Amino acid sequence: MMKFTHRLALPLLLAGACHLPTAQAAPAAGYHADPAQSRLEFYGKQAGAEFKGVFHRFTAAIDFSPDALAAAHFDVQIELDSLDSADKDRDKTMRSADIFDVARFPTAHYVTRSFSKTAGGFRALGSLTLHGVTKDVPVDFEFTTAPPGARLDGTATLKRLDFGVGQGDWKNTEWVADEVRVKFSLHLVSK
Amino acid sequence: MPISDSNGRYGAVAQSLHWVIAALIVAQFALAWTADDLPLGLEKLKLLARHKSVGMTILMLAALRLAWRFTHAPPALPAGMKPYEVKLARWTHAALYLLLFAMPLTGWMMSSAKNYSVSWFSLFTWPNLIGPNEHAFDLLRSTHDVMSNVLFGLAGLHILAALKHHFWNKDSVLLRMLPFVRSERRP
Repeated sequence: MMKFTHRLALPLLLAGACHLPTAQAAPAAGYHADPAQSRLEFYGKQAGAEFKGVFHRFTAAIDFSPDALAAAHFDVQIELDSLDSADKDRDKTMRSADIFDVARFPTAHYVTRSFSKTAGGFRALGSLTLHGVTKDVPVDFEFTTAPPGARLDGTATLKRLDFGVGQGDWKNTEWVADEVRVKFSLHLVSK
Repeated sequence: MPISDSNGRYGAVAQSLHWVIAALIVAQFALAWTADDLPLGLEKLKLLARHKSVGMTILMLAALRLAWRFTHAPPALPAGMKPYEVKLARWTHAALYLLLFAMPLTGWMMSSAKNYSVSWFSLFTWPNLIGPNEHAFDLLRSTHDVMSNVLFGLAGLHILAALKHHFWNKDSVLLRMLPFVRSERRP
């Protein structure tokens, strides 16, 4: 709570000192996700049925204040090897050269470029680098302050084949859907 | 052909359910054996998905069949059968009925345990019966495998018995389950 009022009281003073995209923008509060209390899930569909997996290891540096969207910035790094779909066989297949190819592309990286307000919360527009391909992916989220930290809950939908995730047989979209949903719930602690 | 069982013959409903389920069971063995020989990959995924859809179809048909069986008495067994033969026939039929449920149910649980929800021909998804659990999966898989061998054996016995009735006893036990034949034989 102290930090929150502190931030509100000193925007102008801090504006000059902080590293900000524009000189006029108010600063955004800086957080990082606490891995123990954060979840990053993905939902794929195979043979007509949805399955859920999680990434156990990822880092998220989140600079965000609802009233300072111009200064907001997300930087998320995901260790693809940490994927877990509750089945060793499927996990092995997903790590293999034909799908994520984690040996060559061990991480996925998401960096935001801009933010906007939506009816239910916010939308981040950023670029996702996955499997050696970089493409824009919007992320919809809600931000809830929970002093001393905050919560960030959101979803994104992407097409795996846009990133070449699925080679050979796995290019098939009748049996393995192109669309993959990502859902996250991050417990943010102040930097 | 009458809908219900009559004149010592199975009716259209009982016959249809019997033969459709029989054909689907043959398909199940073919799908399972082919998939077992494949490495992890899309082909295996496809075959197992079909296996699951067909399995769930059998489960639904088995439920219909059991309901029909309880409400429609089947034709009586031939009068000349020895008591142990009657007993053997009854137990074999009971075990086959049991397996019509136990096979799909253990398969469904296997899928749930491995976190692969069962879809019915990509039209809808069945709920998971249990949560992901590797140990449970191994146990269910061995059960499913052992029961498939029992089913194979019992189906063989069932077929041999029908042929024995037809060719040895020369009674109507086989004919009364066959569509489009008129049995002149004694029941």
